[in-house]
Amino acid sequence: MIAAFQNLFAPPRHMILLVAAAWLGLTLAEKRTEQHGVSKDDLNNLTFFALLAFIIGGRIAYILQNLPAFTKSPLGIISINPDLFDPPGALVAGIIAALIYGQQKKILFWNALDSLATFFAVLAIGLGLSHLAAGTFFGQPTDLPWAIKLWNAQRHPTQIYETIASLLTLSLLWGSKPNPRPGVFFLYFASLASFSHLIIHAFRADGPILFNGFHLGQIIAWITLATSFVLLESRLSDQRLTSIVE
Amino acid sequence: MDRIQRITFYILILIAGAAWVFLSASSTAQTETAQAPQTGFTAPDFSLKTATGETYALSELKGQAVLVNVWATWCPPCRAEMPAIEKMYQEYKSQGLVVLSVNSTVQDNPLEIAPFIKEYNLTFPILLDETGDVTRAYQIRSLPSSYFIDRHGVISEVIIGGPMSEALLRTRIEEALK
Repeated sequence: MIAAFQNLFAPPRHMILLVAAAWLGLTLAEKRTEQHGVSKDDLNNLTFFALLAFIIGGRIAYILQNLPAFTKSPLGIISINPDLFDPPGALVAGIIAALIYGQQKKILFWNALDSLATFFAVLAIGLGLSHLAAGTFFGQPTDLPWAIKLWNAQRHPTQIYETIASLLTLSLLWGSKPNPRPGVFFLYFASLASFSHLIIHAFRADGPILFNGFHLGQIIAWITLATSFVLLESRLSDQRLTSIVE
Repeated sequence: MDRIQRITFYILILIAGAAWVFLSASSTAQTETAQAPQTGFTAPDFSLKTATGETYALSELKGQAVLVNVWATWCPPCRAEMPAIEKMYQEYKSQGLVVLSVNSTVQDNPLEIAPFIKEYNLTFPILLDETGDVTRAYQIRSLPSSYFIDRHGVISEVIIGGPMSEALLRTRIEEALK
């Protein structure tokens, strides 16, 4: 079954899963956005401009990092190759575009994040499935009964762990009662997502390794989890927010 | 939960998380030494012949950067990227780049190969995968598929699909040549 899935969505078709997840995520987020104080139009426009900046920013960041190659082959700037892309640069561009749009339209920061939490949760499921289709984010060799054969070894199905964890995160978010304090809904998502990554990254074989064998993904997940807890507590115990809620 | 209970919960989770990071550190320090068609692995070895009978073995090219490009004549993106590959081969071969262009003959018409080479004036070796062994070893699911292999025989990048632009080839070749 996994082999059939991998054949069906073999790269570059695995990108379809991400696009489908983004569409589904936005559709679900729309259903609850007004509970978080953000209109459907604002949510759609915010996502549109952020995604546009993500795509263009990813290409620009890649060009800037490989300027000599593009000076010799300038047509590459408008090439359709998705591999000419820098994900961290894309992320920064997307965040900046969302912040600028949010500021211009006077969308409150925490309300926007609450509104987008469902979108991010569904996108994470799509990311897990696209990792499975492409064979990336693969696990360490193991002889556990649920191991999958990948890259000539029986391995931890880390992509399936990732997908299941993301599905659980979405279920918990979708089933939870909306919290009237802005930011709490998003921070629940951030805590759950970073906690699951903290666990799953331990089984990965392809992530960057730091000194003494520490996994960079786990360190980042732990820092994100700690930051989410600090922000969550500050939102939950903020007296001004408490009085607004009451 | 009141504030004290929440903070206790956060601290317990963070301590357990830190312990998990430490416990899993040693098991993640292992490196992949097996052969597999994926970034970070040693490229699966193969030996193939050209139409004129010359044999090329990947294992004999250690110390040089190698681009293994798997293609077929009926595949439009494969056709579209050939001029760029030829141009990059001419530009980088003096720096140690070898292009092994593998025709997936098992899923192609062998009679179409010679006219294809002539049409694009290809000067790098065109290897014929008549049995499909390389197509299977590299787990080819889409054409074209390209593997950039560094001087140590490790795959530095995999590009599935195409056509690859000159800029993309240039950045990946320079990375493999390092």
